[in-house]
Amino acid sequence: MNTLLAVIIGAVTVYLAYTLYARRIDRRVIQADPKRATPATLYMDGVDFMPTNRNILFGYHFKSIAAAGPIIGAIVAANLWGWLPAIIWLILGVSFLGWASDYSGIVISVRNEGNSLSAIAHRLVSPRTRSILFVFIFFYLLLVAGAFVGIMATVLEAQPKTQLGVIVLTVMGLLLGQMLYRWRTGLVGATVLTVGVTLIAILGGGFTEEVFKAFNAGLNSLSGGAPLVTYFDPTLANFKGADAKLMPSLLFWALAISAFCYAGSVLPIWRMAQPVIYVGFWITALSMVLGLTGALVAPFLKPEVAQFVIPAFKGFNVQLGPAGIMPLWPMLFVTIACGAISGWHALFGAVGTARQIQNEADMLPIGGGSMFAEFLLGLLALLAVSVGAKGAPVGAFATGLGGFISVWGLPIQYATSLAFAAFIVIVLVVTQLLFRVQRITLSEWLGDVIPPVRNQHVASLICVALAILLMMTGTWVYLWQLFGGANQMMAALSLLLVTVWLASVGKNWLYAGLPALFMYLTTLASLLVTAYNIYANVYNPNLAAGRMIPVVGSGLMVLVALLLVAAAVLIGIDGWRAFQRYRRHPVTQPRPAAARA
Amino acid sequence: MTRSFAERLTGLRAAASKFFYGMTGYEFARHAVEMRHELEAVFMVVTFGDLIGVPVLPPVYSLRLLPYVVPEIATWKRHMARRREFWEKDEYDLHGL
Repeated sequence: MNTLLAVIIGAVTVYLAYTLYARRIDRRVIQADPKRATPATLYMDGVDFMPTNRNILFGYHFKSIAAAGPIIGAIVAANLWGWLPAIIWLILGVSFLGWASDYSGIVISVRNEGNSLSAIAHRLVSPRTRSILFVFIFFYLLLVAGAFVGIMATVLEAQPKTQLGVIVLTVMGLLLGQMLYRWRTGLVGATVLTVGVTLIAILGGGFTEEVFKAFNAGLNSLSGGAPLVTYFDPTLANFKGADAKLMPSLLFWALAISAFCYAGSVLPIWRMAQPVIYVGFWITALSMVLGLTGALVAPFLKPEVAQFVIPAFKGFNVQLGPAGIMPLWPMLFVTIACGAISGWHALFGAVGTARQIQNEADMLPIGGGSMFAEFLLGLLALLAVSVGAKGAPVGAFATGLGGFISVWGLPIQYATSLAFAAFIVIVLVVTQLLFRVQRITLSEWLGDVIPPVRNQHVASLICVALAILLMMTGTWVYLWQLFGGANQMMAALSLLLVTVWLASVGKNWLYAGLPALFMYLTTLASLLVTAYNIYANVYNPNLAAGRMIPVVGSGLMVLVALLLVAAAVLIGIDGWRAFQRYRRHPVTQPRPAAARA
Repeated sequence: MTRSFAERLTGLRAAASKFFYGMTGYEFARHAVEMRHELEAVFMVVTFGDLIGVPVLPPVYSLRLLPYVVPEIATWKRHMARRREFWEKDEYDLHGL
């Protein structure tokens, strides 16, 4: 198997899914009507509701949904079960579930006056659905924050070449915000300057490698070389599990990332978060475009970087740690989350986009098309880790992607540096937003009961502390799978809501209902499996060894998993009752007035 | 009417250009509009808040401003009255995961 063949299979399959299946649903079930007024044309206020050109909106929506999820998921899944199940789930998932979830999230918002899914759930299902969604959102963010902080701290500490690039990215992001919003500099000039300097810092990271290595060694000498925390990590020793050490240097980089995210959380968004994301986008986009095109031509120009080297299939129940289970079903379907289907897209991404849809005929290309495009990101990550199996999963990904980039002539060491940097940047820029939204969610959820939580600094510090605690359990794979379970459960819930809505307006609900049922059962099972794995592989061994920090962190993770299961069961019961109610008595929706010319 | 190859190419180029703009500068343009809109909304509340039930005494210059503000009043009222989730407030722009 080589990269060109994999891309061709993937591209042809999703093209067929889009033209034969997605378009059929859009035409026959949703009956998108180009002459029907959309909320953007009805309530045009020039801010939220603003009819926007289809191609601009496609670029905006795609950029909003494409992030680190499809990359990390593909890396983990390929390492656990092999590349074959991963590529099959990516293709089938996006073809039958992912596009439907994203597209339907936009449709339901457009057909309900631009309301968000939670507001529609409050009306269609039950008032407590909205409250339960808050629970999901907060813990979902907490889990992914813990996973991302852990991954990034590990990579940064192990790769001193990348540290300069991250520091310069932060400085350039701050500078860009100042240049655009205060000095009113043109975007093109500001982009060339900030992105150019960041790229130079990334490619020149090798020159400062020794400096940062000495810095890390100096930090570790503070504890005399002894670890701060020792914990049992089931992913070490070829997935058999071994003791891992949290050194002072790792904790330093975890705290540095947390400080970055804290600043991103509390500063005005134009000052740091937005410009850093923008600069990071260019780095990542450059790497991904060079990588994907390199993967296509690699079999002809540089065949040694195009051949798959990891096993196609490792088994239906792989070993991870001395105890615990890792069955293909349900765990694969939550390990690869965003590249196949994602609840985050439907819940959040749909609202902003839905309010800018100027024509109902744009809903499928934008909603469904963006998800199909994100599939390519997941596929690229899978190809990279399949050809670059060397060392840890992230290292394999960077080696593989670096190989693809090197096809275009860039020396391999620079190409690999760029690939590492692209990975860290895409995770870092998302993480700062995570803490921002987490802070807001915490304030909204508990602000009335615990007033200090309403303070943005208090809320941000609580979120940072919880993420560090989760990171110190050392098992970011389980954190990732818990996050995947929460994310996919949100996808199931958004599909459930779409199913209820379709039943309420008397339309065929099968295209959303069947995926909803599959995802609901799969994610419920995965949350229970992950809870068991954490208990058996993390909680018990660390408790036996008397390591209280991993014990507390893993105990918290088990509680979160069980809480999510309980919340999902409640929403499932409410959703089923609502579905039965509307199936018997559909409600005719009044048709809005025609759009003004 | 079928389009010539040159027309298709021009159309493709325009679409790609707009797609590129959507991925890069469009977010800044939107955010600038949102920032301005929030300031305008605060200004409207201070000067014409009584229109939406906010107990503010209309300032003496509100009559002078009225001709300029009248076209915006309906939109402003709808904006203020629309139910919003906490993540929809300004500056809480979200990004994918």
